[in-house]
Amino acid sequence: MTAPPITRVEDSDIVRRSLTEPEAFATLFDRYSGMIYRYVSRRVGPEHAEDLVGETFMVAFSRRRHYDLNYPDARPWLFGIATKLLSRHHRSEAARYRALQRSPVEEHVEFPADAVAAGVTAQAARKALAEALAALSKRDRDALLLYAWSGLTYEEVARALDIPLGTVRSRLNRARRKLRAELGGADPMREEA
Amino acid sequence: MDEMTMLRDLGRELEHEPPPTLVRQRRRMLGARRRRIGWLPVSLAAAATAVAILVPVLLAGGGTATRVREPEGVRPAVVAGAVNILVVGSDSQAGTPRLGKGERGDALLLVHVPEDRKAVTVVSIPRDSMVKLPACGGGRLDMINAAYDRGGLRCTWTTVEQLTGLRIHHAVAFDFSGFEAMVDALGGVEITVPKPVDDPRSKLRLDKGRQTLTGRQAVAWARLRDYGDGSDLHRIRRQQQLMAAMARKARQTLSDPARLRDFVAAVRRQVTTDEGFDLETMYGLAAGMGGSTPTFVTVPVRQYSPDPHRVEWLQPDAARLFKTLK
Repeated sequence: MTAPPITRVEDSDIVRRSLTEPEAFATLFDRYSGMIYRYVSRRVGPEHAEDLVGETFMVAFSRRRHYDLNYPDARPWLFGIATKLLSRHHRSEAARYRALQRSPVEEHVEFPADAVAAGVTAQAARKALAEALAALSKRDRDALLLYAWSGLTYEEVARALDIPLGTVRSRLNRARRKLRAELGGADPMREEA
Repeated sequence: MDEMTMLRDLGRELEHEPPPTLVRQRRRMLGARRRRIGWLPVSLAAAATAVAILVPVLLAGGGTATRVREPEGVRPAVVAGAVNILVVGSDSQAGTPRLGKGERGDALLLVHVPEDRKAVTVVSIPRDSMVKLPACGGGRLDMINAAYDRGGLRCTWTTVEQLTGLRIHHAVAFDFSGFEAMVDALGGVEITVPKPVDDPRSKLRLDKGRQTLTGRQAVAWARLRDYGDGSDLHRIRRQQQLMAAMARKARQTLSDPARLRDFVAAVRRQVTTDEGFDLETMYGLAAGMGGSTPTFVTVPVRQYSPDPHRVEWLQPDAARLFKTLK
């Protein structure tokens, strides 16, 4: 038995088709709105996420003529738009990180025997992490979180932010260094790397 | 554990699942596109869909229907392209006004048709909602259907505009007897009854399961009170189910021009509409609508604490819902 050939309609085909049939663009929404929602909900919380997803796709839709059809995958483009729009919500994002620094959240710990120690450590680490995220420059944070939370590769982050690959590398290195420094300070049980 | 692993864990913790309402944003995106110039040819199927969606609305044409004038004074702004229609189903019996001269609004719906005419949203407003009524309804905090009782369709129109901040372009009131004739003209509607019904008041008896209801049965089904959890919200769900079933049936049967004519004739006399809402306007609306299934939602409410039989709108959820319809 032979499986029928699986042909995936590339995102770029959908964008191309939407130039003459605007409704076709809805397929991109169906493919990626959930993914974009999850990402922006991480950064600004659910209160603003729905609206942001809507705006992202409205902008994408109105700019579809400028899409570079050489790229079959539209995700970096969409994440790039979402990232730009996120900057308008930097206050909500900052508030979210501040809240994380304050509030204890339930921890799932794998080894109950170490629960107390691990719980304390994990919580301290979370606070440190939130603090470090809040302290990053917007550019570094955008690059770092796109890479860590959206699953884009370095190349795709470069495309999303419209910056050279080398710049992605340097931003990510700097951001990770700052995170490590903050975590090292917060966690006395952590060994020096 | 390195910082990237910790960061990814934190991300997962902060993540939320997309809500079902996200689909509204899809509509918003498609609604943003410019309208094509010129009318699309109006197919009967499209008209039929609209007929069922906008429940009794078609019925406007002719000269026999009663008309009301638009409210005056300060009103919400017109949003280009979108059309909002208020639909009130009243429960007075035709010819035998049991309730004196006033009529009670029994079903209160806001039909939102976006600019692209595709994704229609039907918002049910619970009739037991405690709201601040405008002067025409007594100017006090009261049940929303009192507006219909005191000031008729026009007062309900003003009330809903004030509460939602949405400009309502057209308003339609129909009697449930019109609804009955409409269902019969469709040849009945098929619905699923979750548990048997034996209601002495309406003499409605139904077995459990999927079946076709006649007009009379459908009306009794929609108005049934002591069924399910007995709440108004439960009744709204049944009405929504019925409307969806009618939309389906309409799509199947009304492509036949003779049946469409019967259908329109069957219900024309039982409705009140505003002056600007004639058959032509209705067909214009119907143009882009073919084949789409409307989304049915209910205004978010919670129990009204002074009286558990009534509800009040849950804010900011309700405001948010109407904002998405702007």
